[in-house]
Amino acid sequence: MIYTLRHLTTYRYAGLVRSARCNLRLTPRDGEGQRVLESTITVTPTPAARLARRDFFGLDTLTLLLDEPHKEFAVEAVSRIAVERPAPPPEEEGPSWETVRMAALAQPSLGPETPAHFQFPSLRVPLVPAVTDYARASFPPGRSAYGGAVELMRRIRHDFRFDAKATTVSTPLAEAFALKAGVCQDFAHVMIAGLRGLGLPAAYVSGYLRTRPPAGQPRLRGADASHAWVALWCGPEDNPGQGGWIGLDPTNDCVVRDDHIVVARGRDYGDVAPIDGIVSSAGAQTLTVEVDVIPEDEAA
Amino acid sequence: MSASAAFADGPSRPDPAWAAEDAPSRLHRWTEGYAPRPGLADELMGADGGLRGAWPRFLERLARLDDREVAARFLSAERHIRDAGISYRVYGDGREHPWPLGSLPLVIDATDWADLSAGIVQRAALMERIVADIYGAGRLVAEGFLPAGVVAGHPEYLRPVHGITPPGGRWLPIYAADVGRGPDGRWQVLADRTQAPSGLGYALENRMVLARALPDLFSDLQVERLPAFFQAFRAGLAAACKRSDPRICLLTSGPYSSTYVEQAALARYLGLLLVEGDDLAVRDGLLHVRTIAGLKRTDAVWRRIDADYLDPMELRTDSRLGVPGILQVLRQGGAVVGNMPGSGVLESAALAPYLPAIARRLTGEELRLTGPRTWWCGEADNLAHVLDNLDRLTLRPAATPVRGPERDAMLAGPALDAARARAVEALRERPFDWVAQETAPLSTMPAWQDGRLVPRPFVMRVFAAATPEGWRVLPSAFCRVAEHEGDDPSEMRAGIRSADVWVLSDTPIDTPTLVHATTPRIRRIAGHLPSRAADNLFWFGRYLERAEAVIRLVQAHLGVFSEAGTAVIAGEEGTATARRIRALLKEWGCVSAADLPPAAMAQEALSGKKVHGSGLTHVLEARRIAASLRERLPTESWRALADLRDTLVYSEAWAPTEAQLFGKAERALGHLSALAGLSHENMVHAPGWRFADMGRRIERAINTCRFAIDFCGPAASGEDLGVILSLADSQIAYGARYLVGVSRDAVCDMAVLDPYNPRSVAYQVQAIVAHLEALPALAADGLPEPHRRHALTLAATLQTAEAAETDGEALERYELDLEGLADRIAGRYFPNGPDALRPEKLMGLA
Repeated sequence: MIYTLRHLTTYRYAGLVRSARCNLRLTPRDGEGQRVLESTITVTPTPAARLARRDFFGLDTLTLLLDEPHKEFAVEAVSRIAVERPAPPPEEEGPSWETVRMAALAQPSLGPETPAHFQFPSLRVPLVPAVTDYARASFPPGRSAYGGAVELMRRIRHDFRFDAKATTVSTPLAEAFALKAGVCQDFAHVMIAGLRGLGLPAAYVSGYLRTRPPAGQPRLRGADASHAWVALWCGPEDNPGQGGWIGLDPTNDCVVRDDHIVVARGRDYGDVAPIDGIVSSAGAQTLTVEVDVIPEDEAA
Repeated sequence: MSASAAFADGPSRPDPAWAAEDAPSRLHRWTEGYAPRPGLADELMGADGGLRGAWPRFLERLARLDDREVAARFLSAERHIRDAGISYRVYGDGREHPWPLGSLPLVIDATDWADLSAGIVQRAALMERIVADIYGAGRLVAEGFLPAGVVAGHPEYLRPVHGITPPGGRWLPIYAADVGRGPDGRWQVLADRTQAPSGLGYALENRMVLARALPDLFSDLQVERLPAFFQAFRAGLAAACKRSDPRICLLTSGPYSSTYVEQAALARYLGLLLVEGDDLAVRDGLLHVRTIAGLKRTDAVWRRIDADYLDPMELRTDSRLGVPGILQVLRQGGAVVGNMPGSGVLESAALAPYLPAIARRLTGEELRLTGPRTWWCGEADNLAHVLDNLDRLTLRPAATPVRGPERDAMLAGPALDAARARAVEALRERPFDWVAQETAPLSTMPAWQDGRLVPRPFVMRVFAAATPEGWRVLPSAFCRVAEHEGDDPSEMRAGIRSADVWVLSDTPIDTPTLVHATTPRIRRIAGHLPSRAADNLFWFGRYLERAEAVIRLVQAHLGVFSEAGTAVIAGEEGTATARRIRALLKEWGCVSAADLPPAAMAQEALSGKKVHGSGLTHVLEARRIAASLRERLPTESWRALADLRDTLVYSEAWAPTEAQLFGKAERALGHLSALAGLSHENMVHAPGWRFADMGRRIERAINTCRFAIDFCGPAASGEDLGVILSLADSQIAYGARYLVGVSRDAVCDMAVLDPYNPRSVAYQVQAIVAHLEALPALAADGLPEPHRRHALTLAATLQTAEAAETDGEALERYELDLEGLADRIAGRYFPNGPDALRPEKLMGLA
């Protein structure tokens, strides 16, 4: 499936911003079942300096310095991308979760794919005993890591309420868990915390999800959203189609295939935040985001 | 300070009983009954009961002093620490505690020290190679010498640092290790300190204090000196820089850091700029410091903030302590940061068991210094061994240091108490978060307690610096001793004292004098004044002057009442002049109400804690600011500030008479003029001094305008004029000049316009003009900057004004103009001036 993606972010400030420094993480990653055909980022006002680099986890990051006084800052990222992933393995297949966590630690590398990076707490995903206990119910001794994770995903989808008003971007994980409500970011963080609490390597994935307009109705412009889910390392990739990273979407209770477009994989939201940075300003800021995920068969 | 001064307060006549005792019998009495715990190494006494190493040399020399003399010397050391304001904070506790220097130094002989030093140097070099590999090629992990989980699981493994080569080539300009002795008497490393080791400054302070308290022993015993190490350390930082005369900053998290005092002391001693994160800015791939002369390039930063707070662009995005973009500067080679961010990963407790093999792999050498046997539980075999031997092992988190009682519980050893049971449960759940150690109690050293020696557990932090001539070890250490037998001195808190460490050389030390050996200033504080320091100095001056104005107003108030005498019934409002004084005290927030009885009014205005404008409030504010200026103010000012505060503080129960309050005010003014004198006579007359003086002068000019508006109007009474003369401290000058009594215009001229009177408004403005003239300009176009034009205009107006025309309206205009000038000075020079914008995070889920 080929998609055209458009992600427009606009910050509006009450006061004049003299200078700003920010990171843009908006270029989808290449590989693991997807191919980036085109990708451009347009920024207004024009930055004084623009530096592109690839970060530790292989994500293309654009760092900007704005020093022209401005009251509005807009970033538009447009890409075309081809997605084709293999079918997920049968649920209860693969090595046990106890084997997976020790195998993960034994991988002799510090490279970005190494599962050991994803087994320990990170800034936004601390280990919360209550969350670990919640996850443990899906992992009796000897069960396949993948099977346990699919069940955990299912339970989160069932037990948690999707509610955009319940949490904000900075709501701590433990709070979202107690509320049993939140958005995709919260669901992903909770699931990651549960998996890591048991020692399993779990990553945070940011990206987009194809949405299907109701039958007979046109797609509404800008109505899509950025999305987040979880990737689990299921053991060494000894044979093609076995082990490695598999995406699990607890917001929608599905294994990631061709409807999901990956932008970045990190330890938590902080590693992959589409835009972050520091502005020197006085007064409030408002943020609007418009996302379009347009499948080409539909556009045609 | 001379030796005689050091114990001037001690006994002058020896006690006859002690005088009869000779040194050997005294030494015998001190050490009699000294009993180290069996099976533990002790510094003073070997297993055979004989005195070890350099101790006989030290104690025989100390025993020439009788007990009282010894106690007096230790007391003088303590007093010095209090007076100099050497202090520390306990983690999670806002208060400053006076630095607890224990009495006896730890003495070590040259051979023993050389052996330890060689081990430290080897370890420092090894650590630097390991960290370079972790963030570089990753061979140790790839070849199986180091499990990935040991690195990846540590919170100080900072992924954005991966791939950066440290500008200047050094990862660890400074390395430290906490050491003690194992049961076999050999030195052991208990912990590596690679992030931003503290203690170097305290070691230096300890040395200065103890060398002053025991100057004769210090010079007779050939104690190894410290300055050469510090010079070499600084040279090492400088050598890493690209410019030959680099600007080097010490980056602190600020006055609330637990070791801020030592950071300020080190900045002063090494001639580094003490800066906080927002004093630094990244421009064009280079690092700059904000100074009063604009952004100035800085070459190197000695980092004393935790690395994850260093750069909100790539590390913790919620950090307000760091410098946005500094990692990118490192990536581009634009500045040196020591220790490199990410070096803290070497502090992992899980690293220890892999070190011997890594040492052989990287250097072909055997590791000279090892620690207690340790197992990382992230490997299946280790976990099995640990689970089988739980009852004789101590569990420790591999990554995060655990503080406080929880730590004590874990260290409690074999006893499976509640905390330990929890740890075992956690071990089974996530084994890779834990290490297990064979730990013995800490080795002991003698401490002086009630006139005899007792063995106490200690930990010693030894420092090595990367210098142009290779690794160099500080020939002393930062030593912590427990006051009680069972305590753990691994970190500073109640019940832990620090001790100087004396390495006794076998050969004479080639330093000419004691004074030279302990307190040389390696450099002057170089270069441009940072904007923050300018801001603080300005306000330090303003607050002290404001306190003075309040105190003078209180004196005037008391004076008016005592002159009115019995004619005024207590509680009545008094004369019109008195009413005006009261109204002004109320307006300035010095008192809660304008109708208190005179004594209560004076007491509240001087010492009130609940009002925002009392003399005491301003003094405390000045003291708070002074804490950020420790490295810039004369050391004596710390003591003078303490005296000033103590003079103003009163106990609630005390109801002083008016005469007592007058005396209090007088004493406070005395301390204030001592502070003014210190600033004028003891501070280098560089820009820093100019800002402190400008703050004082602008405040004085504004206050004097205010006094003139209230007491020198066209209809001022004789009493009013008397008050303003006393507020402007000009009665004597007036009396000498005019023999006819007070005239409104003559008084106004003297208090406001007279350029020769150092209390007049005109004098202050002239002084400010002179200061501004001497400060650096931003542009080289020869035009006066707006703030200077403002000052010049005001000065010219005052120069040409006449007293008869200087009515209330004119005075109010001057007052407004002065406030405008203060704002312009702030806007031009200070980081938080009226136009400053706060850095904010970009918010929201984008």
